[in-house]
Amino acid sequence: MAQRDLSRCLLRAIAPISRTPRPIFASPVARCLSTTTPRPAELLEEPQERFKAAEPFDFAKEDGPRSGGGGKRLLRTLRIVPASPSYFSAKPTFTDDFVRLSALLRTVATLPMVAPIDAPKVAWKTIDQYRIMTNEPVRTQRFHKMMHIVRRLNCIHPSLMPEEVLQAMQRFKKDSQPGDIVPNPGVIDELGRAKGVGRRKTSSAVAWVVEGEGEVLVNGKSLTQFFGRLHDRESAVWALKATQRLDKYNVFALTQGGGVTGQAEALTLAVAKALLVHEPALKPALRRAGCVTRDMRKVERKKAGHVKARKMPTWVKR
Amino acid sequence: MIIRGAAARQCRHAVSRNSFRPLRRSLSSEVNTADSSTQDNIKQLQSLEAQLNAQLARPAPSARVPNTIAEQYHQYKQQQKIFGKLGTHITPHYRPHTLLNHPPSPADVTLELLLASEAHQGHATSIWNPANARYIHGIRQGVHIISLEVTAAHLRRAAKIVQEVSRRAGMVLFVGTRDGQDRAVIRAAELAKGYHLFERWIPGSITNGQQILGRCRTKVVNEKDETVPGFEEQLDERPVLRPDLVVCLNPLENYVLLHECALNNIPTIGVIDTNADPTWVTYPIPANDDSIRCIQVIAGVLGRAGEAGQKMRLDAAAKGEITYTPAKGLVMPGEEEDSKKTCPAVDAEIQENLLEDEGLEDAGEPSAKLDEAASLEGNERIKVVS
Repeated sequence: MAQRDLSRCLLRAIAPISRTPRPIFASPVARCLSTTTPRPAELLEEPQERFKAAEPFDFAKEDGPRSGGGGKRLLRTLRIVPASPSYFSAKPTFTDDFVRLSALLRTVATLPMVAPIDAPKVAWKTIDQYRIMTNEPVRTQRFHKMMHIVRRLNCIHPSLMPEEVLQAMQRFKKDSQPGDIVPNPGVIDELGRAKGVGRRKTSSAVAWVVEGEGEVLVNGKSLTQFFGRLHDRESAVWALKATQRLDKYNVFALTQGGGVTGQAEALTLAVAKALLVHEPALKPALRRAGCVTRDMRKVERKKAGHVKARKMPTWVKR
Repeated sequence: MIIRGAAARQCRHAVSRNSFRPLRRSLSSEVNTADSSTQDNIKQLQSLEAQLNAQLARPAPSARVPNTIAEQYHQYKQQQKIFGKLGTHITPHYRPHTLLNHPPSPADVTLELLLASEAHQGHATSIWNPANARYIHGIRQGVHIISLEVTAAHLRRAAKIVQEVSRRAGMVLFVGTRDGQDRAVIRAAELAKGYHLFERWIPGSITNGQQILGRCRTKVVNEKDETVPGFEEQLDERPVLRPDLVVCLNPLENYVLLHECALNNIPTIGVIDTNADPTWVTYPIPANDDSIRCIQVIAGVLGRAGEAGQKMRLDAAAKGEITYTPAKGLVMPGEEEDSKKTCPAVDAEIQENLLEDEGLEDAGEPSAKLDEAASLEGNERIKVVS
């Protein structure tokens, strides 16, 4: 650099210290049209406060004691250090997890993968569960970045999955996985009966289905005696009607609670469940017929300030 | 597997290894014509092909096609072992992973290395900080060029600092919050047995440490870095730890961190570009903070220096020398109950802190004094019990 330029620049740099600082005429924020948050170094030309870095080390006077023998030897050798190298991030457990997973992914990245759809189905921990586990204020985006790595590790081909990857992933899985609880399969007893239970509104029904000619008994009465309405008669044995097996099975049912239609709908579900014990392959057909899902609708409660569940008293202007 | 033309492709090495020319030349007394020599070469190539086929045909007892993914992968790996080294031999060149896996040490710092890592690239002349004038070599294409000799000297000085602090069991914190600096920072901390930070520094981690870092666990170690159990209860009462040295790879974004270090007399090392303020750090390293390669070199060198310092410390510890000041106020776990109330050093510290905070007064004192005064006069003060 030319001598003159250098000294001129230096003078300009030193000048503000001697005289009062120049006023900033227009604040950069007022003219800023950007919608992204600018970095502090870009936005401000001068820092808010001037500060000077700490003094350099003086190693000569800072030598530690040379320990000899004597009394409390152990205490003279002890020092306190952070338990994790991520101590100063204020989220040491999360940061350690993230670093460990990234390093693991780098080592196993070349192993064959399966498509994410074909990877084993796993219930991963939610961010709230992870926060409770670590007791740290983990940021949402960073957590999702970490789970992205975990899901990528899960896509390694199962036949080549290393043991350490399985152990690393276990930490991020929920305690109970979807396939853990398997309901007991229905049984057909020695008399060829299968039981099914169904509910609708406040009615409940139990139905025993056995191979036969097509007879139906509900609470000791026949179908036509019990249900006066045609619609209810049909819906009670809808599972058999939809699969064209009315003449192939006998039904013995007990119902209680609710009203006539509620009991009929409860029977739909009960008969369907019992039929599924006899013929599990009928499930898609029964689902299309609407017999498999329990109808969760129930009478909505009355609320304060309303006349009924939804009805409000007449609006008055004053 | 049959190889066709492999000898023609890998001609140079294969032929040089199995060359019949010396033998033939020694036996023959005739001078070869061009035609006959090409004929001979073709015959040699064909015989080489036959040899290669014979070699490869030998280790194939399981000649069936692998049908599972695992078998295919296994076979692929085996083939890579045999054929992976074939091909052109490239002269030694820059391979990015070596800077992270095998970083250079302070002794390996050369001007060529710094130049190749683009450490000399400064910013545009219009946005410079004139305090950096002493580090600048010149201008090229409107950009300031940092003098590499100056960079090397400052880097070696910083390495010495890190080495000595590590030798004295000081806590070295490596900070690099830009994209791509995380791996360098983690590796440096790993080598130097220090601490890393690659996400945003939480303001107040030093000045308000108890609030922010209070939950992070600490441990008690001896001179050989072995954890000593039994002190967990005492650790709960201790103040939060602070780094003894901070290495910042992007000081422009970590203004608050450097300010906190300055307030608490913590020396700092920083990579100072031409637009950064060198007075923010104690030991500047004038270099390019925008190049990830340059950052990896600097972080690697400082990490290696820390590694050397730790080795020195552990060697001294093996001989029985303690190079650091041990923690004050610790009590052996068995004797805790006896001396629970007497922790003179820690109590003294707490007293000092309380005196500094003028707002904190003993709330009971004024009311106690009023009661005394009231009882002297014979009137009883109405006490308000909350």
